[in-house]
Amino acid sequence: MTGSPLYFALRRFADNKAAVVCGLILLTIIAMAIFAPLITQTGYEDQDFLTAALSFPSAAHLMGIDDLGRDFFARIVYGARISLTIGFAAALFSVLIGIPLGAISGYYGGLADWFVMRLIELFSVVPPLLAAMLLGALTGGGFVTIVLIAALFGWVQVCLLVRAQVKATREKEFIRAAQALGATPGYIIRRHLIPNAVSPIIVGFVLAIPLAMMLEASLSFLGIGVPPPMPSWGQMINVGMNFMYFYWHMAVFPTAALAITVLATTLFGDGLRDALDPTLKGR
Amino acid sequence: MTPPALELRALSKTFRLPQRGGLLPRTVAHHAVTEVSLTLPQNAILGLVGESGSGKTTTGMMAMRLIQPTAGQILLDGSDITNLDAAAMKPLRCKMQVVFQDSYSALDPMMTLCQIVAEPLHIHAIGTPSEQTEQALAMMERVGLHRSYGARYPHELSGGQRQRVAIARALILRPSVLVADEPTSALDVSVKAQIINLLLDLQAEMGLSILFISHDLSVVRSLTDSVAVMWGGRIVEQAATETIFADARHPYTRGLLDAIPVLNPRERRQRQFLTSAQIQAQIPRIAGRGATNKPQLVEVAPGHLVEAILQ
Amino acid sequence: MIRYILGRLISVALTFTVVSVIVFLMMHAVPGGPFDGNDMPVNDAVKAKLNASLGLDRPLHIQYFKYMWGVLHFDFGVPFQSPGETVLQLLARAWPPSLILGGSGVLIGTSLGILLGIAAAQRRNTWVDYLASAFATLGLTIPVFVISMMLIMVFAVWLRVLPAAGWDRPHSWILPIAAYAAIPMATYARYTRSAVLDVLNKPFVTVLRAKGISERRIIFQHVLRNAALPMITVFLPMFIGTATGSIFVESMFRVPGLGAYFVSSINLRDYPLEMALILMITFMFCIAYLISDILYALVNPRIRVGGRQ
Repeated sequence: MTGSPLYFALRRFADNKAAVVCGLILLTIIAMAIFAPLITQTGYEDQDFLTAALSFPSAAHLMGIDDLGRDFFARIVYGARISLTIGFAAALFSVLIGIPLGAISGYYGGLADWFVMRLIELFSVVPPLLAAMLLGALTGGGFVTIVLIAALFGWVQVCLLVRAQVKATREKEFIRAAQALGATPGYIIRRHLIPNAVSPIIVGFVLAIPLAMMLEASLSFLGIGVPPPMPSWGQMINVGMNFMYFYWHMAVFPTAALAITVLATTLFGDGLRDALDPTLKGR
Repeated sequence: MTPPALELRALSKTFRLPQRGGLLPRTVAHHAVTEVSLTLPQNAILGLVGESGSGKTTTGMMAMRLIQPTAGQILLDGSDITNLDAAAMKPLRCKMQVVFQDSYSALDPMMTLCQIVAEPLHIHAIGTPSEQTEQALAMMERVGLHRSYGARYPHELSGGQRQRVAIARALILRPSVLVADEPTSALDVSVKAQIINLLLDLQAEMGLSILFISHDLSVVRSLTDSVAVMWGGRIVEQAATETIFADARHPYTRGLLDAIPVLNPRERRQRQFLTSAQIQAQIPRIAGRGATNKPQLVEVAPGHLVEAILQ
Repeated sequence: MIRYILGRLISVALTFTVVSVIVFLMMHAVPGGPFDGNDMPVNDAVKAKLNASLGLDRPLHIQYFKYMWGVLHFDFGVPFQSPGETVLQLLARAWPPSLILGGSGVLIGTSLGILLGIAAAQRRNTWVDYLASAFATLGLTIPVFVISMMLIMVFAVWLRVLPAAGWDRPHSWILPIAAYAAIPMATYARYTRSAVLDVLNKPFVTVLRAKGISERRIIFQHVLRNAALPMITVFLPMFIGTATGSIFVESMFRVPGLGAYFVSSINLRDYPLEMALILMITFMFCIAYLISDILYALVNPRIRVGGRQ
């Protein structure tokens, strides 16, 4: 595999220090989310410290105790679980919707392309967050709903990336050669067009994650996202606002957790994009 | 008598181009190819020459059924394939293959060379995967690439090596007809000669009939048995290769021959490039029966066709 | 060109209609009307009468056409949350704060962003460049309410120099404007930098330098004009991001603007207000979409009229 185009991309990525560091941070956060029960002493909804409610960070409670007597560190760590699960699930659905639509509109062009482009226009005139708020309010929020809403608005980016790549690849002569061999459109899409669109697919997937996490946090912040007592950083920031003048830890830690995770994922995705497709740089 | 390997009868292609401006969408007809008839005999190499935009590539793609002709017929081994659908066409694809000009874009960058050469077998479901690999590696050896290249990717090769891979992919199904669309024009001179020798060897060995599309007359002279010259979407002259080089009758053909660089500096001359109006004016006029005052192909010597005006 | 604009106009009008239908249907498809909540117990007979008086018992498509007919005459109905006035009056009361904050935020953010982008491109790989890039990345990746939160934490809670909320005094406008300006500034810092760098690498800039023209004149007379194209294309996403962010900014800083009413209308299931706000926002985005398309076509002499790339 040392000659494969993906190998070169990997080497280019390794040269990008900031992206590698962000990748490591992201990996740490993922590990913390997976092994949450092992690194926290209590569950996220255990009100074990009611008498010490709102106490500041200490050696025993790294991030202090919240207003309902729960260990704040445990809630932040379990919050990573929610945030990451929603991010990855939504990105997966985005890719599942975006790849076929992008491939079809890029390969066939004409009416299929016109239809997909109008669909995308529809989604770009309606800002995702507004529509998500509306949908969230109408459906009452909830875990699955948020994943679906995020995917509903995340596929557009993936679709555009795949479509552009497929359109460029379609003009290549190896597609003509495959047609001359009697290959069916389905075969050409599966075997040539989608493998050549791996880079935009990976980039689209990774960059859809922070968008979904942001969407979840924003909705939870407004109270129409993940319902309590599930720990969501957005909802914790909302609660923290009421306490911030006197109990700074209630606002600072969820804000920092959300900012760091979203930032690390985005920079990691940007680095991947620069490595996989140097021509897209700076977009 | 065996039918010719490939025969084109009065093929025409009209593209409809969108017209800019105005309130309503309009299209203009562009006649890319007009009534081209060609015969490629078994075991022969036919050159199709002309400047870019003369319709030679479109003709080649129509012969391959990659572009649907507006009118005319395509006969492969004597049977009409003009209107066959994709499914009926698929088995016939084994008999007719194509090599393109740009070897870089002709190979999928995400596939190894072995996968690329084996792809025709895969599409036509010939043999098990290991048989396909073995056959592909054998074919690569035959076009002069070592078996160890099988695991490499296209970007690791030189232009000449990539063109060899493209030839291997085209020939692995053992076709009887090969359409070669300027396969040497993107290559260095020395590499060009290697590829031409390879094509000649394979042609003799496999009994191929080749439609060789090119704008490079020196390559055409060393490779082909007969030549057809295209200009403005029509065939203006057609004859055995040496006849074309010795006794060109059409002003455009003579212009093309004049454009070949001369090695001896003493023989260098000021070249004149004719405008299309000048060419029109110089079209040979021949006295004969059935005067139409329109240019048409006339047989001026056995096997030598020239576009002329009968008067 | 005329054909292109007409085509875009039709396409945008179509989009607007489809959005209005979808939103209308969505709001009526979900179970639960304004009188189903527990905070306002109403018996069935009264509920039916109320629904009838508001036209909620008619077939959906009739309701839709009746509603859109009203919209064409600027009649958006009466907001449930403040029945003493019409939606139009409420909007008239709510838009000045949004316009002041949003307008100055976009204006300040855009100009600062462009200046920062030029500075970063000119001093590539120096601390100016790194700082600008860091600002741009922060502004583009972190949600607006987190940025607002950070601003409040630093300036209101920690340093205690500015009020955290309110609308009454001009200096309480500073923090919301800063929060508003974050997205335009980040967007323009990033795109100006890359657009200017692209142009600076072109051979014609080398020719200008060889002619002895000052670096400042090169940037402001030649480079910016050529860099305008990518900068226009990012206007729309930037505008949408800023407008959406306004919802959070206004509710966090307790500004009585359109964004704050959007939140309250969603929470209270206030259909007339919600519908009016969404139609207004969609209309605004459609216009922005149209303007950026037309600007793009005007500035780009090579545009392939007839399609977006």
